[in-house]
Amino acid sequence: MSNGWQHGSVSTRLLVLEDDDGIRTALRLALLDEGYEVVAHARAEQALTELPGGVELMLVDLMLGGMDGFTFIREARHLTDAPIVVVSARTDTHDIVAALEVGADDYVTKPFQIKEICARLRALQRRGRSHPVAASELGGTVLDEQDGVHLTLWPEAGLVRRGEETVHLTVTEFRLLCELAQSPGRVLSRTVLLERIWDQGFFGDERIVDAHIRRLRTKIEQDPGSPRIVVTVRGLGYRLGTV
Amino acid sequence: MIHRQGNWRPRGKKSLRRRGMLAFALGGLMVSVVIVVCTYVTARGYLIRQRENSAVRQAYVDASYVREGLLASGVSVADVLSTISPPAGTQVVVHRRGNWFSSGLDVGRSDLSEGVLDAVSRGRPVVSWTSSPDGPALIVGVPLPAANAQFYERSHAGDLSGTLDTLKRVLTGVAAVTAAATALLGRSVARQVMRPLDDVAVAASAIAAGCLDTRLSPTEDPDLVAIVACFNGMADSLQARIEREARFTADVSHELRSPLTTLVAGVELLERRRQDLPERSQQALDLVAAELVRFQQILQDLLELARLDAGANEPKAVVDLRDLVRHTLRGSGRPVELLRSGPGEEAVPVDVSKRQLERALSNLLDNADRHGGGTREVRVSARQGSAFVEIDDAGPGVAPEDRERIFARFARAEGPRGSAGGTGLGLSLVAETLRAHSGAVWCTEAPGAGARFVVRVPLAQEDGSGTDPADGTDPPRAAARGQQPTAVGPIEETGT
Repeated sequence: MSNGWQHGSVSTRLLVLEDDDGIRTALRLALLDEGYEVVAHARAEQALTELPGGVELMLVDLMLGGMDGFTFIREARHLTDAPIVVVSARTDTHDIVAALEVGADDYVTKPFQIKEICARLRALQRRGRSHPVAASELGGTVLDEQDGVHLTLWPEAGLVRRGEETVHLTVTEFRLLCELAQSPGRVLSRTVLLERIWDQGFFGDERIVDAHIRRLRTKIEQDPGSPRIVVTVRGLGYRLGTV
Repeated sequence: MIHRQGNWRPRGKKSLRRRGMLAFALGGLMVSVVIVVCTYVTARGYLIRQRENSAVRQAYVDASYVREGLLASGVSVADVLSTISPPAGTQVVVHRRGNWFSSGLDVGRSDLSEGVLDAVSRGRPVVSWTSSPDGPALIVGVPLPAANAQFYERSHAGDLSGTLDTLKRVLTGVAAVTAAATALLGRSVARQVMRPLDDVAVAASAIAAGCLDTRLSPTEDPDLVAIVACFNGMADSLQARIEREARFTADVSHELRSPLTTLVAGVELLERRRQDLPERSQQALDLVAAELVRFQQILQDLLELARLDAGANEPKAVVDLRDLVRHTLRGSGRPVELLRSGPGEEAVPVDVSKRQLERALSNLLDNADRHGGGTREVRVSARQGSAFVEIDDAGPGVAPEDRERIFARFARAEGPRGSAGGTGLGLSLVAETLRAHSGAVWCTEAPGAGARFVVRVPLAQEDGSGTDPADGTDPPRAAARGQQPTAVGPIEETGT
């Protein structure tokens, strides 16, 4: 019944940042039921102190007193790559997109159901691959050559390296890159990506995919303005540019 | 409410314009008739008097000549008469010592009335009008006491009557032309005066259709300043009130989000531990849960309506309408086979918010289940630049007089409240969603039996989105706000 497993029997440490007392309490109880180890805070400053201790998932409300949700996410991203689901009362385009830009992985709007939150969290926790591993992919894949240095993807190790240096991607950004890398040269539509990575399918919000592509490009492309690795195919989707 | 496009005037009633024109024409006619009649009477009197004067002068000249002739001794009256050469149309009759003499064969004593004879025999000159077979004639009688005779001269006035006739005809013609000219003038003046009213009508219907910003343009015409100011003032206060109400509804709904979230989460927690609760508590929990679901649905609907009202920017994407329908059916647990499709059908691309369209279609399907005995079939088609979804149900259909009412907020079907379920907002959400997408929805009859709900959405343009959304620049999406006529109403189509 519990879904908080990740590796073995250790439950996932989940941070809930919500200033409404009622919602925070209800979420804490419900997510405890689901098997997560829940740490709940009402203020972002306090929540930040939890991060060095290791947090594997985050549920963050954008509208907070004091430091707001955006700032928290931005700060948190310096410290962790863990998936972040944003809770928002506002469905304004700008709010959602801004949150995604700053580092969030997915969003839900109020009023929500616990079932919905759990589904989103579960989807983001999946580290497994959607296709069986081919033998040739056990090693690293060179994605690009930048100034004489190779940008390499190590799917099994969960790493992207530029030469000797590790490129820090969030869990979701990494999964996105892996998904594209599994079918190099083939176009994957936004709907397909939403389904495989976010478990959302046809009615998912395509902006989630677009925002993540943008973030990915900022981190791995030599020139994010003219992307070579993650290429847009207009009207169809994205594909991995073959080097 | 269906708004009639274009100018709408009731036929067969005396409109302001027509009455104005009629009044103008009648007034013009009366004035010209009065003028014409006065002119005619004056002219006629003058002409007659002129004629009489000249006849009298001529008669006196001839009378004195005859008298001179008669006073000369030894001359007979007949000889004197024969030396007179009266002008054409004039004849002379002389009476002396009981004998009658005339200058022509066609005139005699019988042409003279008793009154004239009587007057002249008493020694009084007289002028009299008489009528002859040739037309009107003037008789001038001059007594000649010195010659013991009476002198009568008759002159024809046929030309005068001809002149008068011509004058009569001309003046009547003038009166008619004047009346017609005033009627035309009246019509154009009425039209000029009515034009500001037309402007007001256009502005009012624009506001009614949703363009709350419409105002009359300022005018310098002192007669119109008052109505322009009043109209604009009224529109200002209406707009402010409507926007205040919309904001209030939006704010209230917004405030309800958080408490509702907590309630829903709490109930979910309780439901997990249902077995721990005694029987009655379980029933109570069921009640709470069911009502909470309804509450949440109503709130979601209200929030969605508020967003549509505010014209909020909703992310749109180009999708195949058939795919959207299929996913909606599948997602709501309905058989995909309800969507009738044939071989070799073309894609139907539309640029829409998937979420909102799915919601709208879902609401229509729910409505079919609730009031129409279930959905019979769904069809997707495209023509004339628009895409159509037709949902037919297996129910009794919707009466023609209800077909607009059902799209109003909280409109209910007949029956006890709460029995049919639903929020009362489902169909109005559909209408508002379609309006925001520059489309429409309406209810008609399905061939056979049952109701058919038709959804129209503009087809996506060929050029599609111009930029790569992942570059951070979203393609411009203008939120069509109140620029369309109300979404409830079929487009003019030949042979639907």
